Amino acid sequence: MTPSSLLVGIIVVPLAGAVLTPVIGGKAGKHAWTWATTVMVATSVIAAALVNQVARTGPFSAYLGGWERPYGIELRFDEFSASVAVICLLGLLAIVFSQKYAAKELPPARLGTYYTLLLLNLTGMLGFVVTGDLFNLFVFMEILSLSGYALVAISGERTAEMAAFKYLVMGAVSSLLVLFAIGLLYALTGSLNMADISDRLTGSAEVPAMLALALLTTGFMVKAALFPLHVWLPDAHAIAPSPVSAILSGLVVKTGLLGMIRVYQIYYGAKVLDLSSLNTVLVWLGAISIVMGAFFAIFQEDIKMMLAYSTISNIGYIVMGLGLASQYGIIGATVHIFNHALIKATLFLGAGALIYQTGYRNLSDLRGVGRSMPFTTAAISVGAISIVGMPPTAGFLCKWYIALGAVQAGHPVFGVALVFGALFIFVYYIRMVNSFYFQAPIHPEILEVKEAPLTMLAPVLILAALCLAMGLLGRIPLSFIEPAVTRLLGTLGG
Amino acid sequence: MEVTDIRPILAPAISFACTGLVFLMGRSTFWRRFWSLGAATAKLVVVMSMLPGTLKGTVYVFKLLDFTPGIGLGFRADALGMFFAVVSSTLWLITTIYAIGYMKPEHAKVRFFGFFALCVSTTIGIAFAENLLTLFLFYETLTICTYPLVIHEETPEAMKAGRKYLTYTLIGGAFVLLGSIVTYQMAGTLTLSKPGILSLSSGVGPLTWLFIALVAGFGVKAAIMPLHGWLPSAMVAPTPVSALLHAVAVVKAGAFGLLRVIYNVYGVELLKNLPVINWLAYLAAFTILAGSFIAIYQDNFKRRLAYSTVSQLSYIILGAALLTPYGATAAIAHIANQAFAKITMFFVAGSIQRTTGKTQIHELAGIGYRMPFTMAAYTVAALSFIGVPLFAGFVTKWYLSLGALQSGQWWFVLVMVASSLLNAAYWLPIIYLAWFKAPPGTRLELHEASPTLLLPTLLCAVYVILLGLTTQVPGLPFSLAQAAVKFVFGM
Repeated sequence: MTPSSLLVGIIVVPLAGAVLTPVIGGKAGKHAWTWATTVMVATSVIAAALVNQVARTGPFSAYLGGWERPYGIELRFDEFSASVAVICLLGLLAIVFSQKYAAKELPPARLGTYYTLLLLNLTGMLGFVVTGDLFNLFVFMEILSLSGYALVAISGERTAEMAAFKYLVMGAVSSLLVLFAIGLLYALTGSLNMADISDRLTGSAEVPAMLALALLTTGFMVKAALFPLHVWLPDAHAIAPSPVSAILSGLVVKTGLLGMIRVYQIYYGAKVLDLSSLNTVLVWLGAISIVMGAFFAIFQEDIKMMLAYSTISNIGYIVMGLGLASQYGIIGATVHIFNHALIKATLFLGAGALIYQTGYRNLSDLRGVGRSMPFTTAAISVGAISIVGMPPTAGFLCKWYIALGAVQAGHPVFGVALVFGALFIFVYYIRMVNSFYFQAPIHPEILEVKEAPLTMLAPVLILAALCLAMGLLGRIPLSFIEPAVTRLLGTLGG
Repeated sequence: MEVTDIRPILAPAISFACTGLVFLMGRSTFWRRFWSLGAATAKLVVVMSMLPGTLKGTVYVFKLLDFTPGIGLGFRADALGMFFAVVSSTLWLITTIYAIGYMKPEHAKVRFFGFFALCVSTTIGIAFAENLLTLFLFYETLTICTYPLVIHEETPEAMKAGRKYLTYTLIGGAFVLLGSIVTYQMAGTLTLSKPGILSLSSGVGPLTWLFIALVAGFGVKAAIMPLHGWLPSAMVAPTPVSALLHAVAVVKAGAFGLLRVIYNVYGVELLKNLPVINWLAYLAAFTILAGSFIAIYQDNFKRRLAYSTVSQLSYIILGAALLTPYGATAAIAHIANQAFAKITMFFVAGSIQRTTGKTQIHELAGIGYRMPFTMAAYTVAALSFIGVPLFAGFVTKWYLSLGALQSGQWWFVLVMVASSLLNAAYWLPIIYLAWFKAPPGTRLELHEASPTLLLPTLLCAVYVILLGLTTQVPGLPFSLAQAAVKFVFGM
């Protein structure tokens, strides 16, 4: 297979899979799970081949229909696009996890729809990260957003519909902003290809370029749920079925950040604007996000609500790292995009397993569950240690790099904010660990609960192992992403 | 001479494997004991097997993997690290025996012994850490895995103590992390294999602030006042935990971290140019005296021990802050001297509690007649703390006073004298109560602690005497401390 056909394949395979799911899944979605799993395995193989390719040869492109840019549609695979690996892995594990979970939580008639939407959502994300075309970016963003709204609402409960509606309104506004910005850029440069826009933007009028930048940033930051644009996130992420929460929290919010990286690629290259004031705003909002996310999370009783707020804190880390615009900061932020996906998926899937087995979702009701479900709670604990950034887990390296980036950029104050913000996060995770292991159960029957079934336990354990491995072998992602960041900052002219 | 050798990582790995085995097979009493004792012995053998080489000047290194590009997870057994490792692995074996006896009636023993082994694993990791990042990794892990031990009782009081413990130590950890980041930015490396990596070119101001951050970070676990608040509360933990963790592993990890900062990150020469080091010495002197004053007013045996620990730890810090070879000798030697004497006392307190149920000092009248061997061990430890010659504590005080004179700060000798008096003021009354004040009317029967409690206690007391008598204690030679001092001062 040539790299180009692989690039096309990573979008076409899951898309075709999604379209065929209602057909092959059969009545009441009996085979839907098997089919969706098969599709994701195939997609994961393609993703692995792509990542391998970019590690060996550097970024490469595919031109659809043989039309070179700027005339045709370009699919571009660079180091940032390597997030396809994480998307596929998480998608696969979430689908595997869904077998029992969805069968219990959803009416049978919706099973087929559920897997179709999941695959569509993943297709949207895969397309989003590999496209080199700004309008395609928008289209894929809409695919993943629309399927996301539907997935939040899929249980059909009243609260779920409300949460989905809130998500829809905010999401639609953000899409509108992005679309408007794309229109502006097209008017300015006459192109929709991102690399091409970057070239042509040089020397163009400053005010429209600035307006487009502001709209893009705001739009993507709504998607990323950066404080104060986060209001849609907690309900949506907490109420959705747990595998969906894992995808939404681990991946979907990250598309906003990956989108932001694309924006940086355009604007750093174009040198049309001085981005330092934007970066200052982002660093501050990142710092506030860290603290506010942690602050709200402390008051949550519902385990999934708590995890949802913790996402806001972590988005704060990443945005801060991006805004610092120093080598270490951006490397740390980018790797945290991947690592947080793994960590948060561990936590959400683990929480899902607890809820599935016990029927409780409040921390106080879950007291003592550590004794009856030792493996799940151990995995969640690993995730918790990882997300607060304890060494040697995945979360630590990013914290280390972003704080190092703050010192490197000459703003050690933000390093302090980051490190102490992480302590704040510790407060509520220790509450969770306490209730699992060290507090007497309120409901004695919780001690009789069985460990989660294998299709749930295996994904959770694999993810927990990755949380550890990505910490110990952290140099692999860090050195993988380094050339891309050097290129990005190199265009900055630093 | 540096030699690549697997043993520096094997030592922590053994305890780590032990943790896994205890969690897997620990429901059976036999296997739980078998693995705990087996791993403790195996580790002691591994550490001891490096001792002859270390004494000849060989440094064993092992680089496990690159953690981030440039900074590896590295292990390095130099003289200072070996000293700490020898002390903690010797005491782990002794404490394991004691804990097996002490924990018999307790709940959640699998969890207890599992995390117990994990703590020692991380302590050895701290001792052998090749760079500041590896040190930080184990330092934080130690915090996390002592938490289940501190709250072992799961009572509201224990949970509260646990919260307090985590609050203090995690904030300390955050300071260490910040310090490491700034150090890396300034020096471009984090290695602990040199006598100092920072240089004066970074500026006195930044170096001072960095020093304060690092001292605050490690000082929390080393319980420098006013960062000591967690230590007395954490005494709610079972006695073997208090003994090993709060006399050896946790508090010494803090003190050891400070020694690394002073000797390997800053270096003696650089610190002589920074006035802030004098303030550390004053703070340590203050802690020595204030800790003792508070200890006098404690009636709970373990709380008195806790404040005594606060006071004693600052001997190490004062010795290091003097920046003289004699001071350094005292600081390093006191790691062992304080550990053996303090653990003896904790064993005694635990034995009394288990055998008679008494926890308050005023209840101890006549205890010497009921538990003569236990109280004999106590007497040895108490005399050591007071600084009577022929006991371990005297060696520290001697070298510390010499160090103070060497640096021309004679008033620290007065601090030593005052501290001896204060130690006498709170240790001697217990001796008096125990041996000379039998409560009238009651018949005192001989009722010693069970052998698994008594033997470790006596063994530690013997070490206290040996350390005071000779420089050639088997497995803990004084020349190890001197080798470390020579390296630090480039002699």
